[in-house]
Amino acid sequence: VTRRVAVVLVLTLLVAAGCGGGSNKPNTATAGGDAPAPLVIGTKNFAEQFLLGELYKQALEAKGFPVELKENIGSSEIIHQALTDGALDMYPEYVGVLLSEVANVRRRPASPSAAYKTAQAFEQKNGFVLLGMTPFSDANALAVKPAFARRNHVRDIGDLADVPGGVTIGAPPEFRTRFEGLVGLAQRYRLRNATAEPLAIGRQYAALDSGRVDVAAVFTTDGQLASGRYVVLGDPRGVFGTQHVAPIISRSALRTRGPRVRAVIDAVSKRLTATAMRRMNAAVQLRGRASAEVADEFLRSQGLK
Amino acid sequence: VTRAREGSRLVRRTFRTPLTTRVLLLSAVAAVLVGTVMVVLIVAVTGQRDAARSAFRSQEALAAGNQLEKSLITIENGVRGYVASRRERFLDPANEALSSYPGEVRQLSSLVDDDPGQQARARQIGVEIDDYVKLWARPLIGVARRQPAQARSIVITNQGRLRLDRIQRDFARLFARERAVINAREQRAEQRSSRATAIGAGGLALVLLVAGGVTLYLRRAVVRPVVTVAAATGRLAAGELSARVPARRHDELGDLARGFNAMADSLQRSRAQLEHSNAELKRSNAELDQFASVTSHDLQAPLTTISMYAELIERRHASDLNGGMALVDGIRNATQEARTLIRDLLEYSRAGRGELALEVVPVEEMVNRALEVLAGPIEAAGARVTVSELPSVRVDRAGVCRVLQNLIGNAVKFTVPGRPSEVAIGASREGTMWRIWVRDNGIGMKAEDAERIFQPFKRLHGEEAYPGTGIGLAICERIVTQHGGRIWVTSTLGEGSTFLFTLPAVETT
Repeated sequence: VTRRVAVVLVLTLLVAAGCGGGSNKPNTATAGGDAPAPLVIGTKNFAEQFLLGELYKQALEAKGFPVELKENIGSSEIIHQALTDGALDMYPEYVGVLLSEVANVRRRPASPSAAYKTAQAFEQKNGFVLLGMTPFSDANALAVKPAFARRNHVRDIGDLADVPGGVTIGAPPEFRTRFEGLVGLAQRYRLRNATAEPLAIGRQYAALDSGRVDVAAVFTTDGQLASGRYVVLGDPRGVFGTQHVAPIISRSALRTRGPRVRAVIDAVSKRLTATAMRRMNAAVQLRGRASAEVADEFLRSQGLK
Repeated sequence: VTRAREGSRLVRRTFRTPLTTRVLLLSAVAAVLVGTVMVVLIVAVTGQRDAARSAFRSQEALAAGNQLEKSLITIENGVRGYVASRRERFLDPANEALSSYPGEVRQLSSLVDDDPGQQARARQIGVEIDDYVKLWARPLIGVARRQPAQARSIVITNQGRLRLDRIQRDFARLFARERAVINAREQRAEQRSSRATAIGAGGLALVLLVAGGVTLYLRRAVVRPVVTVAAATGRLAAGELSARVPARRHDELGDLARGFNAMADSLQRSRAQLEHSNAELKRSNAELDQFASVTSHDLQAPLTTISMYAELIERRHASDLNGGMALVDGIRNATQEARTLIRDLLEYSRAGRGELALEVVPVEEMVNRALEVLAGPIEAAGARVTVSELPSVRVDRAGVCRVLQNLIGNAVKFTVPGRPSEVAIGASREGTMWRIWVRDNGIGMKAEDAERIFQPFKRLHGEEAYPGTGIGLAICERIVTQHGGRIWVTSTLGEGSTFLFTLPAVETT
C-alpha cells in the first residue's frame, strides 16, 4: 500500500511539475493593509541630527505613531527639497540655517523668536508647519587648538586675518558658498586669507588635532567642546546666528494624524536644553554610544517614553 | 484411506501456486521493477529540467539586477553632469532611467520571489534605491535648478556615491547569493541525475537479472519437464511402452506428466492384451493348419483304399453286378472328388509356409510355363492371350508360377458363352514393386464379392456351372503375401475382371 501511495505521490508531483512553473504572484505583503502609513522623518548628515531623529522617532512610536526614519540625507538644501518633493513628512531644522540657506533671507533677524516667526511664515507659505523650537541652539562656530590661539594671539574670528600665511578652515563643503561660511567671514571680518578644506562633518576635530587644518567649523553643541582641548573663537560681528531647532512637518501629515502627534513632538523639543544636547552628543561622538540608545535613555529619564 | 489421501493431495494442490499464477507473478514483479526504474528516471529528468529552468530564472534575475545597477549609475552620472554643467541634456538619460527603474525593481523582485532571503535582499535594495532617488537624486536636481552653487558643493559630499556604493554592495551580496543558489541547484540536480543514472543502471541490471532468473526458472520449471515428457512420448512412439516420467509436481506440468503416465499405462495394458490374443490366434491358426495337413494326409490313405476296392469290384465282379456298376462309378467319382479336395487342401495348408527359394526370374518365363500347362483349357475356350512386356522379379519360381497358372486358368474358365475370350497380361512399376495384372472379358463380379473371393473354399457359382474347389485364389493370396506383396481384383459384373498382384522388383542399381 505504501508503495502505491508513493507511486501516486510521484505521479501527482510529476503532473504538478508539468503544470506549474510560472506562478509569479505579485508580492502584496509590502503594502501594509490597514496599518496607518508611517510618518517619514528625515535627518541631515551629522551626529546631532541622528540623535534628534531618534528622539522624535522613539517618542512618537512610544505613543503609537509608526515612524520611518531616513537618516543621513544631506545638507539643508537637499533635505528641504526632499521634504518639498514629498519624499519626507518631517525633519528637524536649524531655524537660522533655514532662513539663510533655504528661504534666502540675507538680513539677520533681530532675535531667535523673530527668526522663528519669519521661518514659520516661510514654511506656512509652502504648505508646511514649523513646530515648537528647542531651548538649545546649535550655532556654527569656529574653533582652534589652544596652542594655535596662543601662538597667533587669536581670540576672535577677526584675529584670523592677521595670521601669517593665512588659515585653512576644515568645514563641510557648503561652507565655501554660504553666508555662514567664507561668504559672511569675508564680508564681516574681511577675512581673505582663509581657504576652506572640505571635510565630512565630524572629521574636523581629527583634522584639527592632526594639524591638517588650523581652524575647524564646529557646532556649539559638539560634545568635544566640553573637553577643554579646543577654543571657540568669538563672533562679535555676528556672522553665525543662533540655531535653535524646530521640526518642519507637512501640513497634510499633521492633519491626517491629529493634534496629538504635534503635542508629542513639541514635548520632546521643549526638553532639549543645551546641556542635555551637549551631554548626549558627547555620549555619541566621544564615547561611541549608539544614538538610539542615548535617545532612549533621555526619553525615559524625561518620562517621554 | 483413499479419500484421506485425495484430501491431502487437494490441500497440497491448493497450497502450491499454479504455474500460470507464478508466471503472472514473475511478470508483474518485472513490470513493477521496470516501471519503478522509469519513474525514477522521469523524476530525475524533471528535476534537471526544473534546475535548468530556475538557473535560467536566476540568470534573468542577475541580468535584471545588472540593468538596475546600470540605471542607477546613469542617474548618478546624469545628476552629476547636470549639477556641474547645468545642461539639461545631461538629464535626458537620467530621466529615462528615473522613469524605468521602478519597473526594473519590480522585475527583479518577481525573479527572486522563490527564495525568501533573496526576496528580502531585493526588497532592501528597492528601499535603498527609492531613498537614493527620492532623498538624493531628485532633490539634488531641484536644488541645482535654483541654487547651482549649493548643488555643486552638495555633490562634493559624495553622499550619492556613498548611497550607490551601499546599494552596489547589496547588489553584490544579492548576486553572490543568487549564483550560490544557481550552483546549489545545479549541483543538486547533477547529484540527483547521477543518482538516478546509477539507480537506472542498477535497476536495468536488476531487470536483466530478474529476466535471467525468470528464464532459468522457466527452463527448470516448464521447459525441462515438457522436454522430458516429449522425450518419453518419442520413446513411447518408438515402442518403448515402459516409458514413464516423474510426476511429483502439483501444477499443470504435474497434471501433464500424470496424464502421460496414465496414457502409457493404458497403452501398455492394451498392447499386452493385443499381443496375448495375437499369440492365441497364431497358435490356433497353426493348430488348424496342422490339423488340416494331418487330416488331409491321413484321409488320403483310406480314400486310396476305397478307390482300390472299387477298382477290384469292377474288375472281378463286373459281370455279377449288372446294374450295380453305376453305383461303383458313383463311388469312384466321389472318391476322386474327395482326393482332389484333399490335394487342394494340402496345397493350401502348405502354401505360404516354409522357406522361399528366391531367385531372379523373368515373369515372361513363368507366364509361358503357365500357358503351356493351360494349353488345353485355353484351346477349349478359344481364348486369345496377349502378353505385354514383362520385367524380371526376385521370387520363388514355383509359387509365382502357381499364382499365374491359377489366375490365367480362372480367366479362361469364367467366360461369357458366345463372347470370344480375351486375356491380357502385363505389368507396371509401383515403387519398389512390380504390379502384374491379368485381365479378362469374362463374367466379372459384384463389387461386394471382390473381397470375399480370396477366402478358402469361397465360390460365387455352383460347381455345376464352373468346376473347381474354390481354393485357388486363397492359395494365390498366401503366396503373394509371403512375398511381401498384395493381391486384389477390380471387376464389373458381366464385363470382365482384372486381377492384380505386386511382387518385389529386382534392385537395378
